[in-house]
Amino acid sequence: MLDNLFRALLVASLLVGASVSAEEVEREKLQATIDAALDVIYSDCCTSLSDEAKQAKVREAVEASYDLDVIIRRAIGRNWKLMSESEQAEILDLVKQLVLKAYVKGLNGKDRPVVTLGEVIKVSEKRMEIKSTVVLDKTTFYVLYRLARMESGWQVYDIVAENVSVVSNYREQIDDHFRKGSSAELITRLKELLEKDNTNEDIQL
Amino acid sequence: MKTYNSKFALAALLGLVPASYLSAQDSYLSEEDLYNEEIIAEADIYDPIETVNRYTFEFNDFVYMNVLQPIVDGYTAITPDPVEEGASNFFNNLKYPVRLVGNLLQGRLKGAWIETGRFAINSTVGIAGIMTPADAVDGFAPIKSEDVGQAMGSWGIGEGPYLVLPLLGPSNLRDLGGLIGDRAVNPLKEPFSVINDWNWEWRLALTSSEFIATSPSLMERYKQFKGSAIDPYSSMKNGFTQYRRGAVAE
Repeated sequence: MLDNLFRALLVASLLVGASVSAEEVEREKLQATIDAALDVIYSDCCTSLSDEAKQAKVREAVEASYDLDVIIRRAIGRNWKLMSESEQAEILDLVKQLVLKAYVKGLNGKDRPVVTLGEVIKVSEKRMEIKSTVVLDKTTFYVLYRLARMESGWQVYDIVAENVSVVSNYREQIDDHFRKGSSAELITRLKELLEKDNTNEDIQL
Repeated sequence: MKTYNSKFALAALLGLVPASYLSAQDSYLSEEDLYNEEIIAEADIYDPIETVNRYTFEFNDFVYMNVLQPIVDGYTAITPDPVEEGASNFFNNLKYPVRLVGNLLQGRLKGAWIETGRFAINSTVGIAGIMTPADAVDGFAPIKSEDVGQAMGSWGIGEGPYLVLPLLGPSNLRDLGGLIGDRAVNPLKEPFSVINDWNWEWRLALTSSEFIATSPSLMERYKQFKGSAIDPYSSMKNGFTQYRRGAVAE
């Protein structure tokens, strides 16, 4: 009786240990990915690269650990079914390019941000959240990474910066687009955003 | 075998079996579940005057890009970075009463204490708030700004319809009320102005200076946001609402 109890306790303690270390592994993997993406912008090897080359390298660094499609598919939500197969592939790629362009342009000319990962919150067996702080231009931002356990392993499915979920934000934009527009128009809009330095253009409703 | 299975089931019930031992379907989230999940924040932003809001948003964008941006470009070109930062700090420090009232109205005494300490240190050692030495003082690091709109939210007042205010940008009915409250305790605005001789020249000079000093960083963020938005109006509406809801909930 006692023997069985001790065995059970031993197994339980081993599992708790394994679980903690799994979360630790995910945190370290995320930290390494963030560092690798920042190295592309800030390390000596890459500072002379064009923005496009930096975007490609950042993509490579991130996709070595995570599937970027997961975040984008979640942002697209049910609208995915409104697209043809070729449109799905094109939109995935264009949104990916847009996000990478915003990342590289957003950091251009700024000091390297200091990203510190903190507590890992186990939401369920299939979800965890990793808290972090980002110090950029002397300002501290709170960023939360949401991870889901998928068939391909743990994947980042949302990033929440200062309470603003990136996925929710894009989902709202895409939902609004599909209320009156088509997939073809979305592709045109994404291409416009990528081709032009649209930040200096007036908004057209 | 039967005994083994019953032991396994018992262990599973007790949570002693790793997820990998359970069926594959139970051990990970399916794409269908994750991608089609409803996202609560998007569902309920009340925007009954969207058409008007969109036109105001377009008007604001035109003013920001064609009037404010050239002024900001001129200001940043002739003003060294430390001066820009100092001017921005100066106006931020003067808004201490707004942050203090925001904290007090929510019963956040610790926040009120930190804001008061920061104001005292930055106004004296930091030469009228131009520098922020309080950042380095233990216990007085910057905290999130509180305002009257947030306090109203914490009292349970609903946000009301989403609004885009001319020149000021995104808001909602509750935050518009909060803005009026903030203005009432802002020392640069009436009725509690620190300036005795409050004529229109002073008013214009101070308002313009504050506007220009705080605009460069805002314009930079605005342009970044616009550059990655499929629909800037929807993006701003969603981002503002999520941000304010989070601030109220904290």
